[in-house]
Amino acid sequence: MAELIANPKKNIWTAQQTVAQFRAIAWLRWRILFNGFRRKGGAGELVGRILVYPMLAAAAFFPTLGAGFAGWYFTTQGQIAHVSWLLWGAFILCQLLNINLGRPGTTFNPNELIRFPVRLRNFVAIRLFFGLLAPANVLIMLISLAIAVGISIARPSLCAYALIALAAFAAVNVLFTRMVFAWVDRWLSTRRAREIFTLLIFAGSIAFQWANVNFNPAYNHHRHANAITPQRMSAAVQLYHRAHPFLIYLPPELTGSALVAAQRGRWMLFTACVVATLLFAAIFLAVFTLRMRTEFRGEVLSDVANAVAARKPLAAHVALAPSAGVDSGAPRRLHSAVGVVLGKEFLYVRRNTGIFYSLIVPVVMVFLFAGKMSIRSNSAWLIPAAVAYTLFSVMPLSYNSFGLEAAGAQFYFLAPVRLRDVFLAKNILNLLLAFVEIVVVLAVIVYLSGRPSLLLLSVTLLWAASTLLIGLTLGNLRSVSSPKKIEFARAAGKQASPLSAFISMGVLLVLAAFGGGLLVAARFLNLSWVLLPAFAILLAVAFVIYVLGLKHVERYALGHREELFEELSKR
Amino acid sequence: MTPAIALHDLSRYFNGFAAVDHIDLTVEAGQFFGFLGPNGAGKSTTIKMLTGLLAPSTGSIQILGQDLLANPLEVKRNLGVVPEGMALFGRLTASEYLRFVGRMYGLDKQTTAQRSDELLEFMGLANERKKLIADFSHGMGKKLALAAAVIHGPKVLFLDEPFEGVDALAAGLLKSMLQRMIARGATIFLTSHVLEIVERLCSHIAIIHHGRIVANGSLDELRAGVQARLAPADGEAAQAANERLTLEQIFLSIVGGEQGAERPEGELAWLS
Repeated sequence: MAELIANPKKNIWTAQQTVAQFRAIAWLRWRILFNGFRRKGGAGELVGRILVYPMLAAAAFFPTLGAGFAGWYFTTQGQIAHVSWLLWGAFILCQLLNINLGRPGTTFNPNELIRFPVRLRNFVAIRLFFGLLAPANVLIMLISLAIAVGISIARPSLCAYALIALAAFAAVNVLFTRMVFAWVDRWLSTRRAREIFTLLIFAGSIAFQWANVNFNPAYNHHRHANAITPQRMSAAVQLYHRAHPFLIYLPPELTGSALVAAQRGRWMLFTACVVATLLFAAIFLAVFTLRMRTEFRGEVLSDVANAVAARKPLAAHVALAPSAGVDSGAPRRLHSAVGVVLGKEFLYVRRNTGIFYSLIVPVVMVFLFAGKMSIRSNSAWLIPAAVAYTLFSVMPLSYNSFGLEAAGAQFYFLAPVRLRDVFLAKNILNLLLAFVEIVVVLAVIVYLSGRPSLLLLSVTLLWAASTLLIGLTLGNLRSVSSPKKIEFARAAGKQASPLSAFISMGVLLVLAAFGGGLLVAARFLNLSWVLLPAFAILLAVAFVIYVLGLKHVERYALGHREELFEELSKR
Repeated sequence: MTPAIALHDLSRYFNGFAAVDHIDLTVEAGQFFGFLGPNGAGKSTTIKMLTGLLAPSTGSIQILGQDLLANPLEVKRNLGVVPEGMALFGRLTASEYLRFVGRMYGLDKQTTAQRSDELLEFMGLANERKKLIADFSHGMGKKLALAAAVIHGPKVLFLDEPFEGVDALAAGLLKSMLQRMIARGATIFLTSHVLEIVERLCSHIAIIHHGRIVANGSLDELRAGVQARLAPADGEAAQAANERLTLEQIFLSIVGGEQGAERPEGELAWLS
């Protein structure tokens, strides 16, 4: 870089220097990512990514292919205006993805860049550029490209116009996402705002599921006529027609109009529509830049920075009493450690609205779905399915036990406590949460579909206990070997290691398949009496595995404490 | 008398690099011990090994006559630690945190509650007792970490940069509290880059450099050692040595050989 600042007296910042900055930042992100794999436990992370990324790519493949095909189909059928429907769908899909997946794992805080001689416009460009890697942005770009390709194959003469119009549409979406994320981060930088936002998301997702269960024909075979009635269809069409005069001024419709104009050879109209679309992009960019300008000036998004200093006058200091001196003579009981940690865990759960809502969601979902399932012929699977679904929300909590405590986790290694007691306390909390959750879910099912068979209930509970114990054993180990510090002040940071999430799901699916297999086999062979002893043996085996795991976890935690602290103490 | 801390042949390697290189060190009970060294010398690695946050590669650690590696729980009951990262729980309030720590060290509920209140008053955090620690400033967090480190009345206290970010008023109070602990027989092991604080508080000092202990003794002993080294070589330095050397001068004389040497005139000339 020395040659770039060969003439510092002129104090002129060159384009090469800016390019060098971009390269340096890209290199930094790459090295942070790469070096993360070199850590102890990094191989597991790499394996997790190798497993998860192809799944994400596969999930992106089908909507992309579908959009391309639909673009081709509408063009060949002379209905190119209907491409706007695809664009609305893509827009909504990407917003849902944004809510559920967020951004890729944050490798460093981009605001740290402001200590370098970076211009505001470069800072904005850097923040925009790295935001392109968000799953939703990648998907919208792929879908836009696929539609353009589909149109081009159908009508090669429209190739350039389709590419221009859909590039403008993709740009609008990317800028919209970046703008929303930047402002949401600002709004969610206080704890209270996060709690309100979580509540809104929770209410929204429940409302969405309610609508889905009640209006989606897939869930309403038995009363399909009730789900989509002519009155409702008519109301929906009327609503669309009322909204249409306003919708035509929004980017998906503008892009559709641009394509129609291009097809009809009305180049002025095409240009006007693309310019109007780009105007939206410019507005989103301006609002995004407004936020970036504040961050560029050194704003820190955190609870500390936003804490309102409503200080009361200090009370007069009292002298430190002799009781806090060298030797207290107080009783030193180790067995109380489990109770003390458990008490602290309860405080954390009480203050974690995210966990709170994630525990309510399964109950509500079971309430919504159980009524539908119980009417069908396969209602015998209702209880096992509901309990397994419930465990999906409880099990992952044990796979990152120290994530919320962050650097505070060091305390457990400083204090005179056995680490197995700490894990035991955390596991007891997980078991209690699961127990309460399962009891509530069962109560909902009994309310909706009557009392289940005692055998099925017993077998399901034995299976749930076995699954929890095995999950906790693995979760304890993963909490130590692959912890993730959970950031509260960011809207959508990484909440857990991808491999841990994968293992958590895998364990549940494997054990569900095993349990389901046993149930089917017992029914097929008409040997229902075998089920109870078989699942009791499964529980006994799981219990032995858990006890052995708990004994082993102390040594394991001491052996991995360095990477634990390194990850949890990250700023 | 059993030493408060006794290290023998202690070392720690990171990928073959010796961060701490076979050190021996003894800290007597009742000493206010300063542990100094330049950045990267091995101070934090040593203190992490002494408090159970890091496993040593070789050697033994005896604290109050007990082996830390063999009996970690018994040893830790008598230790108080303010670690580098403070190890606070952001989602607890100050009061809840102190009660949690007190109970973890085996104090009963009543004693814990009473000491929590006293310590919060003493640290000037009484009005912030219901605020979440995540909302604390760095200095407030440091004061709370210190309160948590002493709530169980430890016999040995490890402090890693305890005054960093603490205002002058609170720092004065904390110093007087620490000196009172020493007067009652506790041992304090302090690391700090603020040499004036170490000079004022510590009776004994060890300096670690490149992972090895290069000086160890009382301040007067270190002063005498440096004076003896300077006297025969350099008349001017010897004259200066007759004056009372500060800890900073002693420290630079011992570890600042390379940095303190004469530098070429034109070096870094581009700096304005």
